[in-house]
Amino acid sequence: MTLLRVEDVHKSYGDEEVLKGVSFEMDRGDVDVLMGPSGSGKSTMLRCINRLTEIDSGDVWLDGTPVYGPDTDVNELRQDVGMVFQDFNLFAHLTAVENITLGLKRVLGVPKAEARERAMEHLEQVGLAAQADSYPAELSGGQQQRVGIARALAMEPKLMLFDEPTSALDPELVGEVVEVMRDLAAGGMTMLVVSHEMGFARSAADDIHFLDSGTVVESGPPEQLFERPEHDRTRAFLTGLQAETHQ
Amino acid sequence: MLQAGDWAFVFANLDYLLAGAGITVGLTLTSLLLGFLTGFPAGAIEVYGDGILERVVSTGGVVLRGTPIVVIMLVLFFVVSISKSAFITATVGLGLRSAAYQSQIFRGALQSVDEGQMEAARSVGMSRFEAIRYVVVPQALRRSMPGFQNEFTIVLKDTSIAFAIGLAELLTRGNDLFTQSGRSTAVLEVFLTISAIYFVLTFATNRGLDRLSDYYAIPSGENR
Amino acid sequence: MSTDEPSVADEVRTTVTVDTDQPWALIGLAVFWGWLLARWTNDFLLPAGLAVPREQSFFPVGPFEAARETLLSVAASLGLFGAPFAFLAGLFSFVVGAIPSLPALGRGAWLTIVLTVGGIALGFVLAVPLSVARVYGGRWLRWVSLSYTELIRGTPLLAQLFVLYFGLPLTQIIREVPGVGVGYVPGTAAWVAIIGFTLNSAAYQAEYIRSALESVDAGQLTAARSIGLSKVESIRYVVLPQGLRYAIPSWSNELVYLIKYSSLAAFITVRELFFQAESIANETFRYTELYVLAALFYLALVISASVLMNGVETKTALPGLGGKREA
Repeated sequence: MTLLRVEDVHKSYGDEEVLKGVSFEMDRGDVDVLMGPSGSGKSTMLRCINRLTEIDSGDVWLDGTPVYGPDTDVNELRQDVGMVFQDFNLFAHLTAVENITLGLKRVLGVPKAEARERAMEHLEQVGLAAQADSYPAELSGGQQQRVGIARALAMEPKLMLFDEPTSALDPELVGEVVEVMRDLAAGGMTMLVVSHEMGFARSAADDIHFLDSGTVVESGPPEQLFERPEHDRTRAFLTGLQAETHQ
Repeated sequence: MLQAGDWAFVFANLDYLLAGAGITVGLTLTSLLLGFLTGFPAGAIEVYGDGILERVVSTGGVVLRGTPIVVIMLVLFFVVSISKSAFITATVGLGLRSAAYQSQIFRGALQSVDEGQMEAARSVGMSRFEAIRYVVVPQALRRSMPGFQNEFTIVLKDTSIAFAIGLAELLTRGNDLFTQSGRSTAVLEVFLTISAIYFVLTFATNRGLDRLSDYYAIPSGENR
Repeated sequence: MSTDEPSVADEVRTTVTVDTDQPWALIGLAVFWGWLLARWTNDFLLPAGLAVPREQSFFPVGPFEAARETLLSVAASLGLFGAPFAFLAGLFSFVVGAIPSLPALGRGAWLTIVLTVGGIALGFVLAVPLSVARVYGGRWLRWVSLSYTELIRGTPLLAQLFVLYFGLPLTQIIREVPGVGVGYVPGTAAWVAIIGFTLNSAAYQAEYIRSALESVDAGQLTAARSIGLSKVESIRYVVLPQGLRYAIPSWSNELVYLIKYSSLAAFITVRELFFQAESIANETFRYTELYVLAALFYLALVISASVLMNGVETKTALPGLGGKREA
């Protein structure tokens, strides 16, 4: 059953058209990865789904609701779409557990004690229960990103967006974040991930969408896209990416 | 210049001077409070507001920051005549002027909070107002501490300018002491004494606020 | 928060941001300076009586008075709808009240500028050794410099002026110096004020320069020593030229601060801008005109200083070193 439908989305910044008619669909439980060179519009596409960026034309449906419908409440919509950021964006003045309870208390109106209990469950899920009372600046990058994931999960979203979740991390810290994402995927979470993490894509993704210059050049399951890409641009990009990872 | 008899005169009147120091402290606190209550929203308007309101606030700020405090006080006292009380007039003058500076402190602090904080807050479904209220403002207030500390001591020292409208604070009382007939030789002793009192006040304020900002500082570890 | 670098801005005693892109502000400034320069030329340079007598304004009061009367009668005849005319009449009566005091304010503004420039320039001369002593000096020198800046920064400027003027025998000494108060040379009280502003400003400027020096990378000093410069030469030719550029924004603030606080010299009888305004106001009871005029004069001076310092900042900026990021 379709959970997310993106249809002919266009977006320009000034004269520059970043998205030139992007379309794809995801079923409930799918894990899709967006790949492509920098500036291809991946991150913009992701942000258009929870309206951190507004589209110029086209349509986005989430679970049958038009994301850009006139009656859609953005704040309600965003509760259903969790987002994980490249630079984590943990609230700097709050501890790990407070980062998670803030949304529970202020947006969902969960009472304090229950909010903390639920937050602790999610911290446990990402393996950070012991760091609950640490401030972001006291955590490593990998730990911060796991708290970021827990913060998004706590709102019990229907869809999770990951915007290059490992690209700001030191190489030795990537593994712990990818592991958490794999667990989530195995648990049936619907995930749309912008990432060049080949290992994750190969093992967890259902479909990979290759974007270049604002259009989806080619889509398909990892084995097909990685082993037998149809387009030269995809092939060139993947060759470059593999050369980089093997260094 | 310095004479034992004049020191004795100063010590005999120490109560009188200390009562003036009490007024100085009171005036500092009321002015800073007014400055905070007005300056904080003004700073927020300069960052998040637009149109007429924003222009009025920023122009008012330039006028208040570009005019000497003594002129501001005399305008309030003689032209606007907001109150017969010199204390209230001085509070409004120092308070509004401080608001114009505090608004700049808060403006800078609000702008220095990373945009990603706002986005992260919006992405969990908070409204813009909630995001500002629960995420941006708490961080901005902490970042304002050094500027606020600076402002605190400026206001404390500038209470002495209420001398111009005859408020019986510390400096005015010092002036009244040595202008009594036959006491003009005590002028150096009087002003060294009141300077020492001012110094103790600013020094204690600075150390106290240092402690406070250490206490409220967000911990940071070795990581990152 | 605690990961932030300590910035120069934390130490700044005031900040004025002025939007100088506004055309009306620039036009206002041009008119102000045109008038002020004409006034000074007439009063100080031209032989007396060649143009306008010293005490007489360039502008006649008559036409404005006539205009006010006309407007008032129009307002009266229109009854309720005359309010805008009554308001205009109010403006004209402000002008009528303001015009006669303009020459005195122009002279006061001159003294205000002398006090400010004198205080900041002499203060700078004192501030450089103070800050260098604080950063590079031995224990004793550091302690002396720190005590001085803390004492000055911990007490009000007005109290400092009172100590100098009433408390110390400075006035007797200065009065004996030949030339004081003769011709264009400022009188005794003005000199006391300049000394006060110098001592005060030196403490603040030393703090700005200190934090600017500390923000110069330590490797710069090491590199300078490694090519054989002595410590003093390294500071003089490598660290100071960089550090002083970092200090320029704080220096703009200091200039603005001194322009405004030079008004305190009025309390030790210096006939600067505020003194002139206050004494005329007390004589004529035209408080509104005089204090509003004084505020406008100070605003014009402060905005001029920001414009000037913006220019200095852009001029002295080097790629990758302080000053404005863009431009």
